[in-house]
Amino acid sequence: MAEEFEPKIVAFLCKWCSSAGSDLAGVSRMEYPPNVVPITVMCSGSVSPLYILSAFNKGADGVLVSGCHPGDCHYIKGNYYARRRIALVKRLLDYFGLEPQRFQMSWVSAAEGVKYTQIIKDFVQELKPLGPQKKLRRAQ
Amino acid sequence: MEKVLAKKSFPQWVKTLSSYKIFAPIEKEDLWSYELIEKPEQINLDYLNTVLSPKKIIFPQREVYLEFFASNEEGIEVKELLPDEKPSVIFGVRPCDAKALTLTDKVFGGDFEDLYYWNRRKQTALVGLSCSTPPSPNCFCLTVDGSPFSKDGLDVLMTDLGDKYFVETLTKKGEQLVNSAKTLFKAPTEKDKKNLAKIQQDAKKKITRQVENIKKVPPQLKEMFDSPLWDEESMSCIQCGICTYLCPTCHCFDINDEIDSSSPLKGKRIRTWDNCQFPDFTMHSSGHNPRPDKASRLRQRIMHKFQYFVELYKNYQCTGCGRCISQCPVGIDIIEVLDKVSDYGA
Amino acid sequence: MVNLEDLKKEAKAVLKDEKVKYVIGYEKSSNGLMPAPAFIKKPEDVEKLIWDPTCIHNLTRFLTDEKQKKAREKQPDERPVGIIVKGCDSRALVVLLQEKFINREDVYIIGVSCESAGVVDEKKLSKKLKDKKIENIEFDEKDNIIVTTKDGKTKIPASEILAERCLECRANFPVIYDVLLGEKTKRQPENPFQSVEKIESLSEQERWDFWKEQLSKCIRCYACRSVCPMCYCDECVVDTINFAVTADTTAEEKAQKIKWLEKSPVLSENFVYHFIRAIHLAGRCIDCGECERVCPLDIPIRFLNKKLEKDAKELFDYDSGFDPDQPSLISSFRDEDPEDFIR
Repeated sequence: MAEEFEPKIVAFLCKWCSSAGSDLAGVSRMEYPPNVVPITVMCSGSVSPLYILSAFNKGADGVLVSGCHPGDCHYIKGNYYARRRIALVKRLLDYFGLEPQRFQMSWVSAAEGVKYTQIIKDFVQELKPLGPQKKLRRAQ
Repeated sequence: MEKVLAKKSFPQWVKTLSSYKIFAPIEKEDLWSYELIEKPEQINLDYLNTVLSPKKIIFPQREVYLEFFASNEEGIEVKELLPDEKPSVIFGVRPCDAKALTLTDKVFGGDFEDLYYWNRRKQTALVGLSCSTPPSPNCFCLTVDGSPFSKDGLDVLMTDLGDKYFVETLTKKGEQLVNSAKTLFKAPTEKDKKNLAKIQQDAKKKITRQVENIKKVPPQLKEMFDSPLWDEESMSCIQCGICTYLCPTCHCFDINDEIDSSSPLKGKRIRTWDNCQFPDFTMHSSGHNPRPDKASRLRQRIMHKFQYFVELYKNYQCTGCGRCISQCPVGIDIIEVLDKVSDYGA
Repeated sequence: MVNLEDLKKEAKAVLKDEKVKYVIGYEKSSNGLMPAPAFIKKPEDVEKLIWDPTCIHNLTRFLTDEKQKKAREKQPDERPVGIIVKGCDSRALVVLLQEKFINREDVYIIGVSCESAGVVDEKKLSKKLKDKKIENIEFDEKDNIIVTTKDGKTKIPASEILAERCLECRANFPVIYDVLLGEKTKRQPENPFQSVEKIESLSEQERWDFWKEQLSKCIRCYACRSVCPMCYCDECVVDTINFAVTADTTAEEKAQKIKWLEKSPVLSENFVYHFIRAIHLAGRCIDCGECERVCPLDIPIRFLNKKLEKDAKELFDYDSGFDPDQPSLISSFRDEDPEDFIR
């Protein structure tokens, strides 16, 4: 039997909420797919479009940006800026013809370990039928 | 060797060259470029000139020098990747572009041969198409010792005589090409020869642009390094790379390592075109930039082509194809600049 | 169409009074159909100026050079630069003011209204003319362009040769100026985002195939970046060296410069370049179309900027280049910004 395709996801998690949320999932021993490479950033607002493109360029099959819920940002407004910027990036990627499922954004608080595992489970399920991301990947 | 070839026999000739890779000008959405041809019927020699010259085939914008990877015992292993090319033919090369390759030959040849360049160059035959009408309103080949019928660098030169081509075979490589379809080529009649002479004469008259005193340019330039002319002429320059990337004679390159994986280490060393009009071209790692402004970069482009290269190789490093003039977004015109240089201080 | 003599008069007046360092306008070029930017320093040189439907360049791009030059001078001339702007160009000035890249007193703005017309597309025009040289080109009263060549006059309907962006223009007269020439005739195109919608209506695979083909052509001459008045960063992500480097920068810092994309002109790297260029212009691009005009390989770069313009309008009700006092698109937000895409 052919081995099932396991997508590689790069997740940019904000230090104060989403990263803490993923930690909570870990210390609570919740089970979720091991397909994520988490990268902790100070704030979802600090995620440059370059980070996202660079992840796709180096072979990510999916990219997730996750931050605090509106109103909860440690820096007050960072996630509002992110919301705007990511909306534009998402639409532009779609315009270029990248499968829209490959790029996601979420709000995950430090208490939402369960939500985090669910987001990853869903993301992996959506990516599996798409197969490897080759469009933006640098040829090797 | 002089022959004629009926136009309708041209695809048949190409068909006999099946052991070669064939390149020819192709049009796509009003844009002409030299591309690899799959069927001879794709070739349409009824074109003016391409955006990029055939330089891009012999000296591609991206060339992989070598691959490197970490192996457990040996440390880092390196694998050289020389182009091992099948013989190629480029059809429809304009005389100016062929002559340009004889100039890049000097740069990549001499005491140290650049194998990446020469492996392709030696394997490639150039079949020229003379310019009975100038391909661009900005053609000025006559100024820089060229002509619409120049044979420099070509293996075969074809001239359009209406329903047939006048075919002049110029080298051994060219002879091989023609001999592969001997029966298609006929001996030219007296009328064909007369026709050719007339077309050649008319063609020269149709080239309207020229530099009045090109002979004065190299010695004048020698005295003009600090001239305020460069400031004036470069005012409208936007520092893009069009003029040099499209130039058939420009040959500067950069070498970079592209890392595919850092653990275990794996990557490639890659040569890409580089461009003296970019501000980072001469930037030192100290932060000092010896060509700090656009005036010094425009000066470099003109000086290299009409002074340094002339001193080194006794040729202008320009073949008058007019690409840099036609495509400049802000109308910087090398002919005008050279005219001003030759008149400077007079 | 604005009278050239009026334009010359304005330029001459400010040069005579030594109110400006020089005036940036248009002059005849020797290389083809389009004019060249002119830098007029003396009042008598205003005779070189031209004004006709080929005056396509966005001259505000040269303010970046002026600023850099001024920074290098020990005793800079503090007078403003005179600049001739069309509607779209003036919006570029507004964005530069909004971002505080220039100050209002740095420029003396001679605004020229396009009235009911615009400027012509060089490629469309040259197809019509088949390489004949233009002797004169002007609009008539009825939306036609009259081109005079050595073979006489030709009447061409403006819609056939106007630049694409003029057909989708929402600001055909300057929004900021010290002196305005021409009428403020408001023109509203039927659909300013027609070109974008054409691509949006394609399937995902068709869109990718389209961009794949277009972006593979790119030779990374960076003309689209170089010509853009908004691309004024000292340090650009595509440059191989960090221009913020000084003699004090340590070797370690230099070595740590991140290479976001390689110099190889291959699809994956070209994609990074064009994506970043486009997103960096979100809420800043005023659709002067210069990036697309200068591309030697005819990559439809404008479609990218226009898409972001459309999204900014749809999602955030944001229009760039009308109000120098509004906060910029991505340095502001509203509570009601859409978040239906967020999980």
